[in-house]
Amino acid sequence: MTRHYIWDPLLRLFHWSLAGFFIANALLTDPESQLHETIGYAIAALLVIRLIWGVVGPHSARFSSFLPSRSGIRGQLTDMATGRRRVHLMHTPLGALMIFNLLLTLAAIVTTGYMMTTNAFWGVDWVEETHEALVTWAEISVFLHVGAVVFESLRTGVNLPRAMVTGTKSVPEGAKIEP
Amino acid sequence: MTDRVLPAPERASPMMALIAVQSLCAAFFLADVASDGLEIGWPPFTHWHFMIEFAAALSLIAAVAVEIRWLMALLRRKAHLERQLSLASGAFHDIVAAQFRGWGLTPSEEDVAMFTLKGLSIPEIAELRGSAEGTVKSHLNGIYRKAGVNGRGAFLSLFIEELMTTAPGSAPDRA
Repeated sequence: MTRHYIWDPLLRLFHWSLAGFFIANALLTDPESQLHETIGYAIAALLVIRLIWGVVGPHSARFSSFLPSRSGIRGQLTDMATGRRRVHLMHTPLGALMIFNLLLTLAAIVTTGYMMTTNAFWGVDWVEETHEALVTWAEISVFLHVGAVVFESLRTGVNLPRAMVTGTKSVPEGAKIEP
Repeated sequence: MTDRVLPAPERASPMMALIAVQSLCAAFFLADVASDGLEIGWPPFTHWHFMIEFAAALSLIAAVAVEIRWLMALLRRKAHLERQLSLASGAFHDIVAAQFRGWGLTPSEEDVAMFTLKGLSIPEIAELRGSAEGTVKSHLNGIYRKAGVNGRGAFLSLFIEELMTTAPGSAPDRA
């Protein structure tokens, strides 16, 4: 068992507050309420922080360190197909795809949500419909994200949810490590 | 590099793209069917239009599942053909893969069996697959049991026999 410190505190705080705010606004708050709007602004602020952190933050937080490549994706799928166990210390290629998908989707949700509060777009159908469709897409994505995290944790033997809490990945003996 | 020896339909990337696009379509249709279903109310089974849409969405999902299985088989094949550039090795691979399928080996067992055929030792296989030696040993036990042999020597001789009795070019059709 080897231990690797990967996720910095800001990244972890970002992840869990984003998850909490998204659940709150997708499922709990009244969409017409002031609270829904406030949480929406908080998500926007988190996304801006993540964007900055993705450029100036530590290596594992930088977008440039986990841009998904075709060969990387194929490698990960081959590992799944053959039952090989290679552990990625940072994001896996498919995981990185999901991260970019979630960040972009949330940015679009926040944008359309803000548009609904402006005079120019208040009550405009397509804005509201896009906002709702994007939320559905985000919910599907979150569902897949959680499923994939559980699947990859079982497949590689690395407890990924715990790593996102403590920042440290515990890699079992023998597993091959990819950066 | 390996792409050069494989026929065009065996490329993984277009298949990955196809699966991605069809998954998106399936998600869209399923969401559409679900919202229609909520609108109609329970029971929706008497609405033939709804049922046709529902069946269409389900068949698309089934198609995606089949494609994923194909992609996985294709990636396994490619993983084992790496660095082997002759068509003969492709034909031999097909014979071996057909045999593995017949025995009902799991994907992990197939991988270990292929490495064993290539003459790799247990520690080497463990290193390549990123697993413990004990895991590889238990895979090997499963392989020998399913193949009905008692050890590595007998396992290898099964394939040597196969090679001697199978004329070149009579490889099974690639599914």
